[in-house]
Amino acid sequence: MSVNKKISELAESYLAGTMAPEELDVLTARLRSDSVFAAEFQETLDLLRSMVDSGKHRRFKNMLRDVHQEVIDTPVKQKKNYFIFSGQLWRTVGVAASVAFVASTVTFWSLKPTLNKTESKYNTISREVKGLKIAQAKQIEKQKQLEIDLDKTIKSTPPPSDVKKTGTGFALTNNGYFVTAYHVLHDENGYGDSVYILNNDGQYFKASLVTFDADADVAIMKVDRAGFRFADGDLPYTFSKSKAGLGTHIFTLGYPTDELSYSEGYISSRNGFDGNTLQYTLELPVGHGQSGSPMIDGKGNILGLLTAVGSQKEEKTYAVSAKAITDLLQQLPDEKSIKLPKYPKISRIGREQQIDKIEDFTFVVKVYKK
Amino acid sequence: MQGSYNIEQQTLAALARGERAATEQIYRDNYHIVSGWIVKHGGVAGDVTDLFQEAMVVLFGKAQDSEFKLTCSIGTYLFAICKHLWYKRLNKNDKSPEVLTDSLGTDDDRTGIAYEDDISVHIEREAHYEQLEFALDDLGEPCRSLLKAFYYQEKSMQEIAADFGYTNPDNAKTQKYKCLTRLKKIFYAKQG
Repeated sequence: MSVNKKISELAESYLAGTMAPEELDVLTARLRSDSVFAAEFQETLDLLRSMVDSGKHRRFKNMLRDVHQEVIDTPVKQKKNYFIFSGQLWRTVGVAASVAFVASTVTFWSLKPTLNKTESKYNTISREVKGLKIAQAKQIEKQKQLEIDLDKTIKSTPPPSDVKKTGTGFALTNNGYFVTAYHVLHDENGYGDSVYILNNDGQYFKASLVTFDADADVAIMKVDRAGFRFADGDLPYTFSKSKAGLGTHIFTLGYPTDELSYSEGYISSRNGFDGNTLQYTLELPVGHGQSGSPMIDGKGNILGLLTAVGSQKEEKTYAVSAKAITDLLQQLPDEKSIKLPKYPKISRIGREQQIDKIEDFTFVVKVYKK
Repeated sequence: MQGSYNIEQQTLAALARGERAATEQIYRDNYHIVSGWIVKHGGVAGDVTDLFQEAMVVLFGKAQDSEFKLTCSIGTYLFAICKHLWYKRLNKNDKSPEVLTDSLGTDDDRTGIAYEDDISVHIEREAHYEQLEFALDDLGEPCRSLLKAFYYQEKSMQEIAADFGYTNPDNAKTQKYKCLTRLKKIFYAKQG
């Protein structure tokens, strides 16, 4: 026993390097001459090392759990102007296929809660289909502050709750301002708890509402993270202030899933649904989740933002004209003013290269609700 | 380039010492990249946390070797380890084994093997620690708690003497050596 105890003590001071030189000499001599002792000593050293390492790993793992909680799981603060969602997942404003088939008379459906209901066919219908409580929604709308008060301290944190809706957004400025369709953020059940963008690299960034135009179905948002940039370099596109002509070829990039998807088409009518002059009607195949996608011409001018699709018979796609975006930006107070790029940087390059430039500035918009 | 490499090596050294700031930084910088990828490949949030933390432990283990030099950025290393761990897990669950070859094909063969080696070493080490844990459990009280207090919680002999009711630190120390001797017997008996 005393020999063993001696070995433990020896091994400990040997490992710690606190052994006196003469003691070390004695030990070395014994290790050379006594193979049984040497084996015992080696085992003891191994055990001590294991204990020390195991402790170190254990402490590290505990710290990791703690770090995870602090860096990743920090809860979003509850605020009183919280969004309420009934829990239904709508991936786009467009008529969900099942709804369209059931209600065959439906020609258009949108989630715009504050539509002028006097004459609009689609407003009435949307109420029938989805039971939009327009009056109530309108009231909530009025009361709603423009700023969504979300915790600004969380950086690139994946949301703790379920995705309720997804759409697409694209950058207005490289430092975090972007635009998406308003209905992605808000439906007749109100807003979600929080909004995140998911970029091509799989990174999540929290975003807050800056301003919106519910009628036009446009929302301007900003990524919360300080010093944020969508990508290196300037925005490749610019925003068209005038309305493009019939037959203009256009394309779009959006996220029907978490994968970027490309489709192209043309302007098939100068105005949108029911002669809405703020909109275009497009022949353009799009999928759910592409609400808020940019509508771009061949030179890199953003002409509009995808908002809705028609019924299965028409298969039209509707886009809000870019003017609705620029008009909205002009209403921002001076200190928040946003400068849009004057010229597109991709007017003379091929489509693949255009997409390559634009894709860094488009991303999934995810709306979460606990 | 050289500068950023040095910064990474310093971060790594701080990680190896178990410094919290470095750990947080690495965590913050890399978690979401890994998270996005794993979710895209069929994982859920819980998988991400498990895998990422395991990859952090692999890196921590590697960094303990002062000779260890990164051949790529910390982020690239963690991402590669997470990928390998995820494919391992998928294979284990027999979900989609064919994914393995497809997506690992992008890695250089040699580095792929290097990551595999790092992971095997890590798994062996974890198994070793687990053995040690079993041996500690068999050891009984007060030895189990005493050794844990010293090696896991890094308590001083002074504190341990007070906690365990020894009259002075030297007595506690004597007890600790006795415990170690018994632990050694149990541990190597199991191993043998």
